[in-house]
Amino acid sequence: MEDYVIEMLHITKEFPGIIANDDITLQLKRGEIHALLGENGAGKSTLMSVLFGLYTPEKGVIKKDGKEVKINNPNDATALGIGMVHQHFMLVDIFSVLDNIILGAEPNKFGFLTKADARKKVLDLSEKYNLKVDPDAMVEDITVGMQQRVEILKMLYRDNDILIFDEPTAVLTPQEIEELMHIMKELAKEGKSILFITHKLNEIMEVADRCSILRKGKYIGTVDVANTTKEELSSMMVGRDVKFAVDKVEAKPKEEVLKVENVCVKSKLHKNDSVHNVSFNVRAGEIVCIAGIDGNGQTEFIGGLTGLDDISSGKITLCGEDITKKSIRYKNTHGMSHVPEDRHKHGLVLDYTVEENMILQRYFEPEFSKHGILKKDAMREYSDRLSEAFDVRSGKGSKSIARSMSGGNQQKAIIAREMDRDHKLLIAVQPTRGLDVGAIEYIHKEIVKERDNGAAILLVSLELDEVMNLSDRILVMYEGEIVGEVDPKKTTLQELGLYMSGAKRDDRKEA
Amino acid sequence: MKEKTSFMKRPGAQTFIASVICALLGIVLGFFILLAMNPAHAFEGMYDILKNFFKYSNSSTTMMYYFGSTLVKSVPLILCAEAILFAYKAGLFNIGAAGQYTVGLMASLYTAIALGWNWFFCVLAAIAAGALWGFFAGFLKSKFNVNEVIAGIMLNWIALYLTNIVLGGEKVMNQSKSETYNLLSVNKGALLPEFLKEVFGNNQYMTIAIPITIIVALLIQFVLNKTTFGYELKATGHNKDAAKYAGMNAQRNIILTLVISGAIAGMAASMYYLTGIEHYKIASSVPGMGFNGIAVAFLGGLNPIGAILAGFFVEYITLGGQYLNTTYFNPQVADLMVAIIIYLCGFVLFLKHVMNKVGKTKVVSAATNANAEEKEAK
Amino acid sequence: MKKVLSLLMVMALAVTTLVGCGSSKSASDDATKIAMITDSGDITDMSFNQTTYEACKAFSKANDIEFNYYKPTEDSDEARIASFNNAVADGYNVVVVPGYLFAPMIEDVAEANPDVTIIALDVSAGDFSDGYELPSNVCCFTYQEEIAGYMAGYAAVSEGYTQLGFLGGVAVPAVIRYGYGFVQGCNDAAVALGNADQVNVNYIYGGQFYGDDAIKAVMDTWYGNGTQVVFACGGGIWTSAAEAAKAVDGAKVIGVDVDQAATIDETEGTDGLCLTSAMKGLAATVDTTLQAVVDGKWSDYAGKVENLGLVSADDPTQNYVQLPTETWSMQKFTVEDYNDLVAKLYNGDIKVSSDTDNEPKVEIGFKTFDNIH
Repeated sequence: MEDYVIEMLHITKEFPGIIANDDITLQLKRGEIHALLGENGAGKSTLMSVLFGLYTPEKGVIKKDGKEVKINNPNDATALGIGMVHQHFMLVDIFSVLDNIILGAEPNKFGFLTKADARKKVLDLSEKYNLKVDPDAMVEDITVGMQQRVEILKMLYRDNDILIFDEPTAVLTPQEIEELMHIMKELAKEGKSILFITHKLNEIMEVADRCSILRKGKYIGTVDVANTTKEELSSMMVGRDVKFAVDKVEAKPKEEVLKVENVCVKSKLHKNDSVHNVSFNVRAGEIVCIAGIDGNGQTEFIGGLTGLDDISSGKITLCGEDITKKSIRYKNTHGMSHVPEDRHKHGLVLDYTVEENMILQRYFEPEFSKHGILKKDAMREYSDRLSEAFDVRSGKGSKSIARSMSGGNQQKAIIAREMDRDHKLLIAVQPTRGLDVGAIEYIHKEIVKERDNGAAILLVSLELDEVMNLSDRILVMYEGEIVGEVDPKKTTLQELGLYMSGAKRDDRKEA
Repeated sequence: MKEKTSFMKRPGAQTFIASVICALLGIVLGFFILLAMNPAHAFEGMYDILKNFFKYSNSSTTMMYYFGSTLVKSVPLILCAEAILFAYKAGLFNIGAAGQYTVGLMASLYTAIALGWNWFFCVLAAIAAGALWGFFAGFLKSKFNVNEVIAGIMLNWIALYLTNIVLGGEKVMNQSKSETYNLLSVNKGALLPEFLKEVFGNNQYMTIAIPITIIVALLIQFVLNKTTFGYELKATGHNKDAAKYAGMNAQRNIILTLVISGAIAGMAASMYYLTGIEHYKIASSVPGMGFNGIAVAFLGGLNPIGAILAGFFVEYITLGGQYLNTTYFNPQVADLMVAIIIYLCGFVLFLKHVMNKVGKTKVVSAATNANAEEKEAK
Repeated sequence: MKKVLSLLMVMALAVTTLVGCGSSKSASDDATKIAMITDSGDITDMSFNQTTYEACKAFSKANDIEFNYYKPTEDSDEARIASFNNAVADGYNVVVVPGYLFAPMIEDVAEANPDVTIIALDVSAGDFSDGYELPSNVCCFTYQEEIAGYMAGYAAVSEGYTQLGFLGGVAVPAVIRYGYGFVQGCNDAAVALGNADQVNVNYIYGGQFYGDDAIKAVMDTWYGNGTQVVFACGGGIWTSAAEAAKAVDGAKVIGVDVDQAATIDETEGTDGLCLTSAMKGLAATVDTTLQAVVDGKWSDYAGKVENLGLVSADDPTQNYVQLPTETWSMQKFTVEDYNDLVAKLYNGDIKVSSDTDNEPKVEIGFKTFDNIH
């Protein structure tokens, strides 16, 4: 008889017209790290929402320590010691770390807060599990990695011993990921049981004991990680074999398309520049990647380059034309395509349909409007064509509201739009963030195809695998400066890591 | 079963049902108030309010006359609602519609009485005045990032006092009656042309304001859904950042939206006061039309056509109050009921939200993820 | 959209059927039924509307007659006409309307409803359009407010006050008559006392028939600068004067239309704030006229505009304009003095001008201010 701390047996959860979970069984042993693997839309989040009391399943039972339990809301789940780190953190930005941790479980005596006790407990926990946080920092001021540690501390503070991590690495830097893996192992060693939702195979191989795989709402199987391979896991996940390396031929760079000279961008948070004297160029037919740990000025630089933010000094030249002071519209219509970092904030109008989103920068062109009146038929046709070509899948085709689509398909829609527009330069910022392997493979292929068709590509990525596999040249950004340029074929992950952490820098001559 | 679900899931149907539920809920709550005040006659009271002008059913002329009156009085309310929903679609909460309405009133009556203009130019003056007032709010918002609600409220009061000063003078206001001169006696040409007057029991206030209101609603519907301008506005309203990313000129659009919204609100005033049905009296508070328009816009599900129905409904109940038997009920009860219905209008969106969650037992924001999953798996 | 439309159609059908079932119950019997329509105020305005309402109600109760009042939805002719039609549809055949605002309504509905008797208080011939002839189912009443105002002013100055004020509502003829009468009374009393050079009257209109902060601010200034008594003349405007007076020791207010002593004291929570009230006999008029209707003597009034004032020198309480001697807080000006004054006015020894176009010529200080609103 195995010692299962949580068992979800034959769970079936239906939504109108769709079965999100179809007879799924998941058994979590005490003290193990159990990965839950599946593509976007496989039903992982639904299953976890059932466990966390957000949904009530139509069929199936949940057992805690062998006894059947009813979980009707998150409070029930918390009472059973189940805690969850959501993909999008549930933190109050303007509260301190400590306040966020105790929020909802405020220690008090006669109704008065007794924060001193709470502080001690938090510090003890952070020491014990090596979760470094500053309890007095405001959440809005700390890094994403630290915010995640706050989320973990929240669970530990509530004495949860079943911890659910919902795609925790999607937002982290390589170093932070490594750290998280370490923390997870520590937690398991201390007797906590961990459910780890992900679609990153490397992480599973590194940290998980067992792995359950879901595909299209169905349970595929559970394997011991020690006895399996990445290839086996991925084929179980997508139902076919997946290639990890990106197929590409040697780049044949041609004329210079983008030239950036001494660009500085003011910081919104402090007085100093967040981007300092950045200079480089991108030529047609090559992929140049800006690598770096999140928060080192990449977002601000791209903001300045595309016009979303103002630059304080410097010069930007596109195909020989100075576009430093040009409007976004001008850049959009003169050869700049931009796959933005935040697809929800910038990339899409989520309440618009797919077809409306497809013409976001082009609605005024004669192809889509006449005398200020939209040509609905042309929009539909265009959107259908792009969706087909780029395999954008959605419930109602072009009429689907963007919000209703999965992240992967939203991203594909953006990529389709940006690639189809007339452009000489494609700026792609974290184009595969939060996507599953199938989608990543596809997007990488498209980007290489773009390059081979003669476009200049500026890629910004935090994923080292992506950086190494995709780029022809790598620029490393550290604290707002380009600290090194390396050739992916000649460098190693270790060297890249040194640049990224500021330990090494080239004395680059200002271009 | 499956078909029914899909009907319920259609946003249009949902809005319509939510609005009807809110209206019914308001009536039921109103009934409870009547019940609390006078249990024996509550049913009779409710019946009187709902029966409304059908009271005159034995004289179709009188009945049609008061049907017409209800239409006439719905016009400014509907147009204010149109103004508000138009701005709302672009993500702007034009609480300043009340002030834009007030300056429209000022412009139309001043040009009509003091300057003796023809109605057409009086309407244009009102539109221009409202547009100017909207421009102020839009300019402050786009250039100095002053919240349009704050600017709107301030401008409302400025509009009120300005109107009191301009219309309070001897040229426009009958000093012995303390109200503006009767258009019929001072400038007949300023009265809006009649429309189907004979059909509506010779109601002299039945003017082209009614077809114009419908045309304006259709026009807004058209602009919002079929034009690039509407496309830009809605994109800005839904997601400012994405609109900026797409290269849309947010500053220009903010100003333009509020100018148009203000123009409609200003026009609303002219469409009412230029029928001659009411005269302006010095007021110590901003006319409520602009504020009630907010509620009507929401009750109408933020749909230009829905606003027509909602506006008529609210006015129908408002006017229904006068048919209450004052022996049993204070006539203010009807105002109270309308206030409650207006209050409930705010729940239309909430109800819609609830309907969206039908089938899901828990309503938690974290559910959106799974929501996306579910859709994709289709 | 089609579904929406069809739903609407169904609803409309339902409504009409519902209405069809509810057969009209207005039985056209000949019994007298009395209705009242309020003007811009409500029946709780402690003034004009309330007096009319209470008089109608008391009369109906005493004579066992059905009575109801109607409140127009807005302050407009259209809304007043709607209320009238509503009352008629409900079977009321005597309609009492208080105030000059009703003149256009009467012009619109009187001839079309010959069976409905309309009693209009405070509506004068001048309120109708030129050349309008009152039909026989209407009778209008006006009052010699200038005499009531005169008596109030005379009494106040005789009482020893020297710094007075007049706060009118809207400058309509009735209010102007009160005001100019008040000024004349103050003047005559001051001349009689020989202190005309010391007596001052401030004169202003609020521009509305209810009090507000702006009006109170003006009153605060007046009382603060030494004004002792203000004649608050116009609907509910007295609240602003009374609030301001309360804050100053010894300051007084003079009420209007009805005996407002109790009302003012009660509202402000102070005793003796109201010096006296310049009354006109609204209640008496309502009573007498309704009695005439019931007794079948309507022909005495049919189509007339009656100007009511003094009818008796011996018994001042019979007059349509008077001061309430029992509730006033006068010390020096006695009831005998008052009776004396009434007699002189009745006999014609004293003449009060009812001219509303020209300010009265006086020897006392008389200063007119711009309207507040």
